[in-house]
Amino acid sequence: MIEFKNVTKIYSTGTEAVHNASFTIEKGEFAFLVGSSGSGKSTLIKLILKEEEANKGNIIINGKDITFLKPKRVPFLRRSMGVVFQDFRLLPDKTVYENVAFAMYIVKATPRHIRRQVPMVLSLVGLSNKAKCYPNELSGGEQQRVALARALVNNPTMIIADEPTGNLDPVTAWDIMNLLNEINARGTTVVMATHAQDIVDKMKKRVIQIDKGIIVRDDKKGGYNSEIQ
Amino acid sequence: MRYNSFTYLLSEGFRNLFKNKKATMSSLVTMICAMFLFGIFFAIGENVNTIMEQVNMAQGMEVFIDIDATDEEISELGNKIRSLGGVNSATLKTKQEALDSVKDELKDFQTLLEGFEGVFPASYIVTLTDLNLSEQVKSEILQMENVDEIMSSDQTIELLIKIANGVRVAIAVIFVLLIIIAITIISNTIKLTVHARRKEISIMKYVGATNSFIRGPFIVEGIIIGIIAALITVCIVGVLYNVIIEKIESSMILQQMQVSLLQFQDLSRYILIVYAVLGIGIGIVGSSISMRKYLEV
Ligand SMILES: Nc1ncnc2c1ncn2[C@@H]1O[C@H](COP(=O)(O)OP(=O)(O)O)[C@@H](O)[C@H]1O
Ligand SMILES: [Mg+2]
Repeated sequence: MIEFKNVTKIYSTGTEAVHNASFTIEKGEFAFLVGSSGSGKSTLIKLILKEEEANKGNIIINGKDITFLKPKRVPFLRRSMGVVFQDFRLLPDKTVYENVAFAMYIVKATPRHIRRQVPMVLSLVGLSNKAKCYPNELSGGEQQRVALARALVNNPTMIIADEPTGNLDPVTAWDIMNLLNEINARGTTVVMATHAQDIVDKMKKRVIQIDKGIIVRDDKKGGYNSEIQ
Repeated sequence: MRYNSFTYLLSEGFRNLFKNKKATMSSLVTMICAMFLFGIFFAIGENVNTIMEQVNMAQGMEVFIDIDATDEEISELGNKIRSLGGVNSATLKTKQEALDSVKDELKDFQTLLEGFEGVFPASYIVTLTDLNLSEQVKSEILQMENVDEIMSSDQTIELLIKIANGVRVAIAVIFVLLIIIAITIISNTIKLTVHARRKEISIMKYVGATNSFIRGPFIVEGIIIGIIAALITVCIVGVLYNVIIEKIESSMILQQMQVSLLQFQDLSRYILIVYAVLGIGIGIVGSSISMRKYLEV
């Protein structure tokens, strides 16, 4: 599903954000990418999204080596994954419904399909009654659920989340985690970068720990701070 | 909200325009100035052309026929001349008519002509469809049988050709300048909207939007600016043209030359087409240039 083979990323500034990283995340898995701030989590996410190019190594997504993917094909790679960020990234002048529908419109879904699918994902994230609201009328947790609905609406094979709970209070954060868990239970792969220790500890999912760009631990059911084997 | 590509492109395109009123206005004004300049020179050029045509129609060249050519040979020569490319008409002036016109000019001194009735040759008055072909037609006619010599008002024609070519060069230069200016201006305007909407663009990219999808509304924005500028300029040029033409036509020079100028209706179709093509083309090129940087995510 997602395979990194000896991937190294050096930014043009000279910072080596990822060094010789190798790991495989299987279909249907739930994996945390953990590490302190600046350790290279977002860079790993960006490499998966092909927002950044690896300097060395290969990245294989859904059986396809994307190392030399043509820029023209990148949008189609991204359609196979739903993306969620810390800062929600909703379109401010579109309603909740429109924000979600827009993601379907972009991939040229039929109006009928859009009318059926959008209410479905909105009800999945528990926002059916907020469909007509604008993002600034919602709480942070609600905005993140809209972002999650948008990530889900095109039935991606995986959800890629970069600190999705970073801007949320603990209770709301758990709402989001429960949703992600539920989505994962339905068969969608989830990859989540975070440095929220308590969440990682309680979820008991796979943990890939990165420190200064190096993968230092890959623990199938680990907490944030389990001993390095 | 119903999504449909056309309404999506239009509504987003207009939204871009209004999001950025100042830049939209300034690029509209610049476009109008550039298009206006082009319109004026285009109008001058077309009028020089029409004047050339009219002068040519009025004057033409006179092909003198050998004095001993038979009537059959003369009419055969007429057919040959008419069949040449670039010849508009060839009108026969018989020996008698030649004599009459000389008599007319001499008026009181007609007695001088007695005994010379037979020496005035018949001729063809040849007019051309295109003055530039004058030399070529002349040499072709000179090679025909029974042709004695050709007289034409070369100086007038040469002067007109010079003016016309000069105007053509000016139009071409202005045209190129106009395109460069307009593309620069429009791409700068769109750069501003793109910059204002860079967050939206990056969101669209994360959701998997293709570059052409993202570019669409910005191209429409450019096209709308182009079309609005074209419409406004056509109105300005139209009004101004009619005022100026009226002034010129009421002056004496043209009446003496016996030529008339084009009405704006004669020009407007071409100007509109040129403006529309320009507006749309510049809109597309300008917005593509301005988007390049932002699409590399
Ligand atoms: N676009 C960039 N250009 C240069 N250096 C960067 C860029 N993005 C991140 N970095 C550097 O790469 C390292 C890893 O950053 P990042 O992947 O964002 O870490 P994390 O998400 O774990 O906080 C940091 O040292 C950061 O300063
Ligand atoms: Mg980060």
